[in-house]
Amino acid sequence: MKREIYAYRCRKCGHLHYPYRMVCAKCGENEHNEFDPEPLPTTGTLVTFTELYALPGDFEVPTLGLGIVELENGIRITGQLQIDEPAGGMKVIGEVEVVRSEEYEKYYGMIFREA
Amino acid sequence: MRDVYAIGIGITSFTRLEFPLSEIAAYPVMMALKDAGIRKVDHLYVANMGSGRVNHQTGLASAVVDTLSLTPAGAEVIENGPASGGSAVKQGFLAVASGMHDVVAVTGAERMREVNNLEVTEFVATLTHPLAEYIYGVTLPSLAGMFTRAYMDKYGVTSRHLAMVAVKNQNNALLNEFAHIQQAITVEGILDSPEALTNNPYVADPLRFFDCCPVSDGGASVILATREVAEKTGRPLVRLAGIGQATDTHCVHERDEPTDLLAVRRAAAQSFKMAGVSPSDVGVAELHDAFTILEIVESEEVGFFKKGEGHLALERGETQIGGKIPINPSGGLKGRGHPVGATGVAQVYEIVHQLRGEAGKRQVADPRIGFTCNFGGFGNNVVCLTFAREN
Repeated sequence: MKREIYAYRCRKCGHLHYPYRMVCAKCGENEHNEFDPEPLPTTGTLVTFTELYALPGDFEVPTLGLGIVELENGIRITGQLQIDEPAGGMKVIGEVEVVRSEEYEKYYGMIFREA
Repeated sequence: MRDVYAIGIGITSFTRLEFPLSEIAAYPVMMALKDAGIRKVDHLYVANMGSGRVNHQTGLASAVVDTLSLTPAGAEVIENGPASGGSAVKQGFLAVASGMHDVVAVTGAERMREVNNLEVTEFVATLTHPLAEYIYGVTLPSLAGMFTRAYMDKYGVTSRHLAMVAVKNQNNALLNEFAHIQQAITVEGILDSPEALTNNPYVADPLRFFDCCPVSDGGASVILATREVAEKTGRPLVRLAGIGQATDTHCVHERDEPTDLLAVRRAAAQSFKMAGVSPSDVGVAELHDAFTILEIVESEEVGFFKKGEGHLALERGETQIGGKIPINPSGGLKGRGHPVGATGVAQVYEIVHQLRGEAGKRQVADPRIGFTCNFGGFGNNVVCLTFAREN
């Protein structure tokens, strides 16, 4: 099964949101659920990033790469990075994989690698 | 609206405290009541972020009001993340200004060191967006790290500037007996020495250990009252003249300009407008330096310096205690410590202290206007307060 992350397009004005909102951030005119989900593209450009050394629980790795990526449709997303030497402006490609595992639960999100 | 005055202040040491949270919240109220020379208040506001999660105690305000034998006065907890303190002071202001109450106590308290580092990092990380940030392992330091990198790329801020903030605030903290960090550091020691990677390791690249505030326990209080009550105390009159609050997107990645802190800009502008003053009138400020970068950027966003020039003013020494606009004479969050719910009230404590001219070794020369910026989440909920000394 191909996993995707969805952005939400307002049916009144067409503004695209990620993550989901109940009221459109642009027109503010829509009723509840008046959004059409559409899958986020997976390619984009790295805006900024960090290597996190002080990890929260659930992460059994020495460090964790995190970044903000501007996707090709202009939407930005926060994701994990698996890139040896990240740099601002780098072209990246993402895939939806497990990003966090708890005892009984797995969470899926975008992991980016150099394109 | 009626005018509202800060008539009494109190604070605990910010450190690891082996007392129940309710006592950490109550003790500075006792100090503040004594400072104001009164025994009773009409209402109590308790700023706290984590009592339910970290300390397994809910309904904290009921415990605190009873500990102080202030019953049957009304009491409630105000939770607004790390800006809880600023929010609680705002609620206290509204109660007095509206005419509903004449005298209220506002206390902020947190006991974060009851749990270990992992749990506390996790607790603070629950501020982030649950589905679009938190699941990835995003923490507040990681958001600050990404923000710092973007700022360095755009404006030429360097690790050396960040270290200068740390050195300034830790030096100021040495003059503050209630501050958590009592350690003199130098830029050479934490950046250039052969031991720098050991004594100042990376937390969220490019941010390092000395760029981050400590995890602290502590409490701070302020008593707010009408002019009539304030005049009876015979103390210098310090009026809470302006309040501003603004929010921003929950997810940091949704902001149009990744290097802007719009909520800070808007909250500060509102606060100055309400007080009828401009940023250049401010004689002393407490800014929310949970990370060293934040002091630099907030000093720009509130209007002390042009955008992108805060680090240059820092280089010129303008933000030191003897400088043009002293920032964080208390040591700030970096030096004084950051018990999240207490911080906003601790900022008010310092400003009232300074405006009264009672701050001792760290006294700024005769300030008339004081300012605080209390920053919640990663800049998604900000409360700015402006104080004026009237006599």
